[in-house]
Amino acid sequence: MTIIFILMSALMPKTFFSLYNLQSMAFQISGFGFLVIAQMIAIISGGIDLSIVSIMSVSGISAALIMTKFINESSSSGNVILIVILTILVTLVVSVACGFINGLLIGYVGVPPILATLGTMSLFMGVGVIITGARGIVGFPSGFLKIGTGTVFQIPIPLIILVVMSLLVALILNKTVFGLKLYMLGSNPIASIFTGINNKLMLLGTYMLGGFMTGMSAIILIAQANSAKSGYGSGFLIQSIIAVILGGIDPAGGLGSIAGVIIGILIIQMIQSGFNMMGMNIFWTNIIFGTVLIIVMIINLYLERISFREKKTISK
Amino acid sequence: MLKKVLNKNELFLFLIIILLIIILTSFNRSFLTLENWFDMIKNNSGMMILAIGFLVILLSGGIDLSFTSIGIFCAFIATDVLVSKNINNMFLAFAISCGLGILMGAVNAFFISYYKIPPLITTLATYAVYNGGLLVISNNRSFYAAELPLWYKKFGAMNIFTITKPEGDKYGLSIYFLIVISVILFTWFILKYTMLGKGIYAIGGNIESAKRSGFNIVKIQFFIYCYMGFLAGIAAIMETSILQAVVVSGVSVVDLSVIAAVILGGGRLSGGYGKILGTVFGVIILMILNNNLILIGLSSFWNEFVIGFVIIIGVIITSIQTKQKSRGISIIKI
Repeated sequence: MTIIFILMSALMPKTFFSLYNLQSMAFQISGFGFLVIAQMIAIISGGIDLSIVSIMSVSGISAALIMTKFINESSSSGNVILIVILTILVTLVVSVACGFINGLLIGYVGVPPILATLGTMSLFMGVGVIITGARGIVGFPSGFLKIGTGTVFQIPIPLIILVVMSLLVALILNKTVFGLKLYMLGSNPIASIFTGINNKLMLLGTYMLGGFMTGMSAIILIAQANSAKSGYGSGFLIQSIIAVILGGIDPAGGLGSIAGVIIGILIIQMIQSGFNMMGMNIFWTNIIFGTVLIIVMIINLYLERISFREKKTISK
Repeated sequence: MLKKVLNKNELFLFLIIILLIIILTSFNRSFLTLENWFDMIKNNSGMMILAIGFLVILLSGGIDLSFTSIGIFCAFIATDVLVSKNINNMFLAFAISCGLGILMGAVNAFFISYYKIPPLITTLATYAVYNGGLLVISNNRSFYAAELPLWYKKFGAMNIFTITKPEGDKYGLSIYFLIVISVILFTWFILKYTMLGKGIYAIGGNIESAKRSGFNIVKIQFFIYCYMGFLAGIAAIMETSILQAVVVSGVSVVDLSVIAAVILGGGRLSGGYGKILGTVFGVIILMILNNNLILIGLSSFWNEFVIGFVIIIGVIITSIQTKQKSRGISIIKI
């Protein structure tokens, strides 16, 4: 499956490979990438998370509030660093708290993930709107902005963060008990109870982890934009789902690896940047994504049928 | 006692409506006026119609996230045709809008029944495609009041009967009310008295059993998604008449309210559950909340928050109900 996608991305025009372009793509991927990781975790667990953009929004707004309230022109640089660290912590706490609420609803109350996250999507976004009054909060210290826009040896900092985190998540998924339980939960929730897995706790953890990732994405995105508004990233939701499915994650849960998802992210990013560069109307992107999603699902279906037939003949 | 009330969903909702009315009226007497209610009915007719369509899909165990983009798309095309050809015909607009809506719904149905792609993903994809498609075709150009054919305005202002206030202002029960009632009755009839309706519930209950019982799954699924498209087309033209505009770039909170209303009304994602009366009550509750929060001093910024809150409450209650019902049946407590 993933081979097909590598081929697809190789077909992109050669103008792609300038350092500047790769860099700008890398910057854009980073914020989005964390959202995709969060979505991936939710989908592997057999659910879905429609609230990730709203969580990102609220966390970003909280971060912005703290930074603008406590830092002014005359703050000493030591102070600034302290506040920035505090901000990052608060952002993550807020996003994990949101994830906690999600996990509570889904795991302990038993609400279907679509509906729970539909509700929390509105709820969290609403909180953000109430706090900001639909205006943006601007003006962050330059040290903070570096997180989003700085580079180390020409490699964008956010990308480094993303790569590190992805490796961490891959580790968690493949090598830890939590990861194993997650896959089992996703593939068959009832069987997993009999195996002794505490479904409720797992779901709680899943969505909290997702919240954490979303918080990271919030930090990066507001650092890049130097402002926090409640409307950010609305297109990201669908794109995150597409990226996850492109990456080979079974929407029913229980299958898929992070490597595939990363490729999914890359493809989406390349399509977007490619369109930008070719001067294509950006409105086409939505159409392309939707169509790609359907095509991928159809391909998935056929691949499943083929492998099923193979299994049938083998068992004979 | 609480359990009983929770289980009689419709009764519970009705009580909530009464409660809301009491609370809001105590804050501001103008809430309970005929004028306010006629206004609310007119503004929310679109939402009611969409909610009915959404309920039908939910009953079958499916979901449709694309209806908003279908609606706007159809309204745009219909308006575009009318404006460019300079026709002032209301029926043509409805015809184009509904016809196109049916086609777009059929696309959904096609992928869901033939390729077995989960409705969530299909409609998510078509939402994106239709949205993008609209932006491309319209070139992000919206239609505003001055350009709309005259009948839009007249239609929007038509009332079944009009009452004149002492000061000379007129207000009345909009003709939209008739459309809404017709849709509700028509759908109710289909669901209750036709094989089609029974088939919808059957699919929602267990698709395999439904197939073996002889229901034509494909035909039924085509009906429900096309019906949604059809209703979206109607609602879209109605909304255009009220707003006096076709705004291409906006995605309204209407879709979320629709889903919230149906869920609140007792519709379940797993399918097979849900009554029209419940949905109607759900829409009424959301209608009250959407338009009147300002009466208790909450700015419109609170709207989204309240909707989310309502969805969550509704969903929690529904989940508790589901658990209680299955407690007697299954050995496993999930």
